[in-house]
Amino acid sequence: MRNESLWVVAAWLLATSPMQTSRAQVTREVTDAAGRVVTLPSTVNRVADAWHANNALVLMLGGADKLVATTVQAQRQPWLRKLYPRIDQVPAAFNAAGDLNVETLLGARPDVILMAYDGALPRWSAAVEAYHVPIVLMPNTSLEGLKTTARITGTVLGPREAEVAEDYIRYFDANIRRVRRETERLSAGQRPKVLHTSSAGILTADGLDTVIDDWIRLAGGRNAADVTGNGRPVTLEQVAAWDPDVIIVGTAPNQLSRKAILEDPRWREIKAVKNGNVLVNPSGAYLWDRHSAEAALQVLWAAKMIHPELFSDLDIKRETINFYAKYFHHALTDDEYSSIVNATAP
Amino acid sequence: MRRWALIAMILVPLAVLYVSLFVGRFTVPAADVARILASRLWPIARDWPASAETIVLQIRLPRAILAMFVGAGLSVSGAAFQGMFRNPLVSPDILGVSAASGFGAALALLLSRGAFALELVAFLFGILGVGLTYLLARTYRSTPVLMLVLSGVIVAAFFSALLSGAKYLADPDSKLPAITYWLLGSLNGSSMQTLKLVLPPIILGGAGLMLVRWPLNILSMGDEEARSLGVSTDRLKGIIIVCTTLITAAAVSVCGIVGWVGLVIPHLARMWVGPDHRALLPAACSIGATYLLLIDDVARTASASEIPLGILTAIVGAPFFAYLLRKTQGGWQ
Repeated sequence: MRNESLWVVAAWLLATSPMQTSRAQVTREVTDAAGRVVTLPSTVNRVADAWHANNALVLMLGGADKLVATTVQAQRQPWLRKLYPRIDQVPAAFNAAGDLNVETLLGARPDVILMAYDGALPRWSAAVEAYHVPIVLMPNTSLEGLKTTARITGTVLGPREAEVAEDYIRYFDANIRRVRRETERLSAGQRPKVLHTSSAGILTADGLDTVIDDWIRLAGGRNAADVTGNGRPVTLEQVAAWDPDVIIVGTAPNQLSRKAILEDPRWREIKAVKNGNVLVNPSGAYLWDRHSAEAALQVLWAAKMIHPELFSDLDIKRETINFYAKYFHHALTDDEYSSIVNATAP
Repeated sequence: MRRWALIAMILVPLAVLYVSLFVGRFTVPAADVARILASRLWPIARDWPASAETIVLQIRLPRAILAMFVGAGLSVSGAAFQGMFRNPLVSPDILGVSAASGFGAALALLLSRGAFALELVAFLFGILGVGLTYLLARTYRSTPVLMLVLSGVIVAAFFSALLSGAKYLADPDSKLPAITYWLLGSLNGSSMQTLKLVLPPIILGGAGLMLVRWPLNILSMGDEEARSLGVSTDRLKGIIIVCTTLITAAAVSVCGIVGWVGLVIPHLARMWVGPDHRALLPAACSIGATYLLLIDDVARTASASEIPLGILTAIVGAPFFAYLLRKTQGGWQ
């Protein structure tokens, strides 16, 4: 556990020191996901993170005390709040719909804004850039993109955070290699069909071209949903036609959704239900299955769940406890571990 | 009403229902479907997979039945309202039932309640919305049509604002898409249990409307004329409002907002059987049931991901209605 009050004081000192208010003379350049070369002050001490998933990543890289503006959505993640209670005090300049309160943001005097890149600049970019606040965009559709996001975020935050990012990427790559070593030789027939239901309900599926499809494939499965994009509405009959071997229930209220599937007689004939392979996706500082720091754990967890026979030596609990200790400086208790792996509130 | 028209009114929806059970994304051989259906009536050796039976009897059948009742209910409500308001532009949600139900559903989704709670809350809010409209419109112990329409606009605006508020507060990764999809309309939630919950109010409301078919003819001549003929217009209006509200609130609560059906099907029915409500209401039921059933067949089979009903009813229905409008020059009114 860190000494929170000390950090808050440190952040306050940084935030109010006169050095920070004058425009930094020395600058540096960062290339973002949109291919734009963005000019930043050489030291970045005040960060506005408009991408809710990325707030946990900033915490992991050790830069959370630099957050001066965040999103309503980030403040709703129970585990992020537990790991970093100060997130509640950071002004939420970005609402749940991703829109911005310009005055809150400018009042927070950020050196830089971090944002996900979905092919276009955010709607509010012109309003913000008029005040010379640079926006750095980061990719959000694949595991590879997640690594780039960690790298860019680290670079923006500073050399210390950049080092953590590189360390994290090495760890992530090692996990990917570990999984791929076992799964790459699997033939199509040896790959179970995996249905990942999205957060909008059990009859919405995460399809192709998503980070979810990415880790399903890596973990030695096939995405049962041959639709494109996240959270596509599907019929129960279509689910039956896909007949998935494994169903992974994504995001809250996962346990309720899992129960709804298991108790509904109409799902009974589906293979995953018949064989007891309806799982709940873990959720921590952010949802493991999406663009989260814990995606590095997700690839291990998914591999173990889809191919228990190939990964009998893999201890998810140990990996998880080590991960949170190393990257979030938090020693998980047994209860806390099960809260994360079962996606229940801490 | 000619006899063949009556027979068509009953047989066509049933035939479409039967055919609908054969189509879907899950491949069940037609022979199996036929034998699964027949096995409910007389004993047949079961040599088809259990999954096929689940698909046909527990997924397709309840959904198709629900589509028919919702389609019939919305259409007959629209027809009754168009007569009562003496205005062909009126749809069943004129008194604010959709907006109020929509807010109720969004609230239930926001609080992560189950499907049953969602339907119940949406239904109750629909009733509440129309109740408010009625109270607001009540002046000097009567309910003038103009007051009803204006009150409906006010109540709908109020609940739409609350609905937007619920969307604003919703989690954009989970709750917001759930609310959005719900509002676009879908019969995805249908099961035998939903039928038990939703059919009673629809049948009750429908039967009520059928009973006042004849006085509705008089009411559609105007309040003054109806009163001079000895019809208690306010009581009649009250009955019609209660019946249509039962129907539409139940329909909206289970399948979201399916626009267009209640507005346009009455016109198709009028083209077919004329403006006499005694024939118009049954015709609207029949056409509405068939129409929504066919639309839902498309919604659940056209692509791997489900197409929201509200989109299809208008995308398929609008050009068709435009064609009829041009052809008949609106002469049926």
